[in-house]
Amino acid sequence: MLKLLVKIFSTPDVTIPVTPADCVRTEVMAVGKKIEDQVKRLFRGSLAIRQVDAGSDNACEQELVALSNAFYDVERFGIHFVASPRHADMLMVTGPVTRNMAAAVKRAYDATPDPKIVVAVGDDAIDGGIYRGSYAVLDGVHSVIPVDYQIPGDPPSPKTILCHLLKILESLNGKPAES
Amino acid sequence: MINAIASQSGFLVLLSLFAVGAAGSLLLRRNDRLANYWNGFFAIAGSLWGILFSLVLLNATRAVSFAAAPSIFPLLSISFKIDKLSAFFIFVITLITLFCSIYGIGYIRHFYNKYSIGALGLFYHLFVLGMLLVVTADNGLFFLIAWEIMSVVSYFLVIYDRNDEKNIKAGFLYLVMTHIATAFIVFAFLLLYKFTGSFDFDAIKSGVSLIPSAVKNAVFVLAIIGFGTKAGIIPFHIWLPGAHPAAPSHVSALMSGVMIKTGIYMLIRIFLDMLQPVPLWWGLGLLVIGSVSSLLGVLYALTEHDIKRLLAYHSIENIGIILLGLGSSLSFLSLGMPSLSLLGLVAALFHTLNHATFKSLLFLSAGSVINETHIRNMEKYGGLIKNMPQTALFFLVGSMAISALPPFNGFFSEWLTFQALFQGVSTLAVSAKWVFVAAAGALAFTGGLALACFVKAFGVTFLARPRSGEAQEAGESSFSLRFAMGALAALTLLFGIFSGHITSLINRVGNDLSVFSCTTSFVSAFPDQSLAVGSFSTVSAPVLLAFLVAAFIVVLLTIKYLVYKNQKVTTGLTWDCGTDLTPRMEITATGFARSIVTIFKAVLKPGISNATEYLDEESRYVPQSRTVILSVKDMYKSYLYKPLDKIAAAMSERAKGIQSGNINAYILYILTALLIALLLVK
Repeated sequence: MLKLLVKIFSTPDVTIPVTPADCVRTEVMAVGKKIEDQVKRLFRGSLAIRQVDAGSDNACEQELVALSNAFYDVERFGIHFVASPRHADMLMVTGPVTRNMAAAVKRAYDATPDPKIVVAVGDDAIDGGIYRGSYAVLDGVHSVIPVDYQIPGDPPSPKTILCHLLKILESLNGKPAES
Repeated sequence: MINAIASQSGFLVLLSLFAVGAAGSLLLRRNDRLANYWNGFFAIAGSLWGILFSLVLLNATRAVSFAAAPSIFPLLSISFKIDKLSAFFIFVITLITLFCSIYGIGYIRHFYNKYSIGALGLFYHLFVLGMLLVVTADNGLFFLIAWEIMSVVSYFLVIYDRNDEKNIKAGFLYLVMTHIATAFIVFAFLLLYKFTGSFDFDAIKSGVSLIPSAVKNAVFVLAIIGFGTKAGIIPFHIWLPGAHPAAPSHVSALMSGVMIKTGIYMLIRIFLDMLQPVPLWWGLGLLVIGSVSSLLGVLYALTEHDIKRLLAYHSIENIGIILLGLGSSLSFLSLGMPSLSLLGLVAALFHTLNHATFKSLLFLSAGSVINETHIRNMEKYGGLIKNMPQTALFFLVGSMAISALPPFNGFFSEWLTFQALFQGVSTLAVSAKWVFVAAAGALAFTGGLALACFVKAFGVTFLARPRSGEAQEAGESSFSLRFAMGALAALTLLFGIFSGHITSLINRVGNDLSVFSCTTSFVSAFPDQSLAVGSFSTVSAPVLLAFLVAAFIVVLLTIKYLVYKNQKVTTGLTWDCGTDLTPRMEITATGFARSIVTIFKAVLKPGISNATEYLDEESRYVPQSRTVILSVKDMYKSYLYKPLDKIAAAMSERAKGIQSGNINAYILYILTALLIALLLVK
């Protein structure tokens, strides 16, 4: 428990700025190609993501689901969403972490094999967003588990998520985030 | 010294040890603890003496044969004949009694101040005494008396736990069935007496040529029904799954491991010894009966959740396997192939010994579990390996032996049975050959299903998490229980490893029968414990054991040094999708067996019924409770016993007509019956 607390404080929550203009101008295909290269370099061609809903309002889920639809189709870049944290390289946590979901988020984090990357997706997940200060929420994922990266937006569009993902993968620099 | 043991007095010492044990227990019935120790001491001393006596006799050159007392009845002579076949069965009985008695000392403590320990000791000793007399009696009438002692006393043991209504019912069914069976046996002996003029086994044997073949066939059918009921062959088995579980566990072990073997003993004695030569269809008939019993026995075992009933059904299965060996033996003998016939007999006798050891081991471990949890329903166990690690190990050993996995003993006797059947397939003419093919198929199928059944029994009982408070609170059993189970577990392994020695010993038992007196067996055992069946196939226990150990070590090293080489091992909770795992999510015995039950639904006729109770019967929106009842239809009850029962009831209804209740009428009936009898007999 103490170890986890220390880790939560010591892990820097990195938000890599992506200028909206950049993102708008690029084609999905171009981002995707770059992601595919990074995934090949870092994960031998397959990045498994587990999405955890920590009391989200489902806006972020809509956008994440859209990643798998026929238009974005991230599977072709080697990214796939898995059904269990046991199989995941990356946790994408959405929602402000309601009190009821805190334990579940922590268990999902424990169940993910090391080394793992935790990404807080959406403003709610970063600091509580519009729910901030409510007695029912814990104001962001970083209050429960160490967060490595943040993707802002309320909610972030699928393309934004992809652009951030690319930046995250580029910043990993051959070494996945420390466990 | 050795001559002194293998003599009349040696046998009488054996009988008197059990008799003194019985009488002493009765006298000490006021003091439970003293009765228990007296009971245990004499049972252990008696069994040790019995083991010594039978081992000496198995190596002796001649049989012990004597008449105890000049009888006052003309046809009854209290005469014994202990040849090697009898000695072999004495060995099996006393060996299992030894461990059951050690187990009993600790086990029956929980009956203190509840039931009379003295009475239990009395019946226990008389029971063993009855079995010893059954396998040594040399006179038909004396045999019947011994048979009745064994049957009636075991009835009292079945209803010992008399506060449970179910036990009383099971005991009653047992009593009825066993006496119907005895009626058939009596009839068989009367037929033999009518044509040979004697009840003495030797006289029947020498006068066998006087018996017409139709009568011989009748005796065969009567003996199959009579002794088959005791042995528990299908469809005469219905008493067995009720009666064996009802008795205290160490008595269940004796009943299931040893008592049903007395039926096998008599089948061997009558068919292979007394009534030779026999027609071919007897052997083939036994093969069919054996196949049906083994297959259906294991199928019904799969549907059981009561651990002791499950084991009882497995006894039926194993009796079927023994009958396969015996049936092939009889068939080969009728076809003039004594060498192959001896192979079949060796397989049957070896399996008799093996089944006695591992089945009693399983019953004792089940008893140890029941003693700790006080429930018999397997669905309420779970996770017991953590609380009772040693019992779990012993149960696992027993399960592996009964599933015929090497290097335990069950493998070697089933292997021999297979060899006997394969020899039949390869040497016999067309019609008999197909029976052997079917029997070998049934045996292979049985082996697979038995394995599935014991995966279920062991997994549901000992693995996963406790499904009831009782299972959670269970602790390891006391020393005497663990000692008896451990010794039996070691024996199942030793009998497997030294299968060569035992096979050559049983070969000698076979050679002692007059039909095999100058036969060399088709199975030969070598000093390095390997067995060879002709030039057809060989198996070697030490090689198998060495191979298994080597494979185990290789797998262990591979995992340690290749798979885990660069990996950090962390322990964590099971991933449960954020909910809490509860014991209710585990696979149950019913669930595990359901797929197999569905495959065999033509035989087992599974049924399912749903019942929903609503909070408000009018609106039926909110269900309060749902009940699903899965069941298996008992074919014998509905197609054999119910019609028989109906016929009996209808006949009784008819007989009511002459039951006027008037005493004068009854005197008239008696007089008429007497006159008719006098006229007929003259």
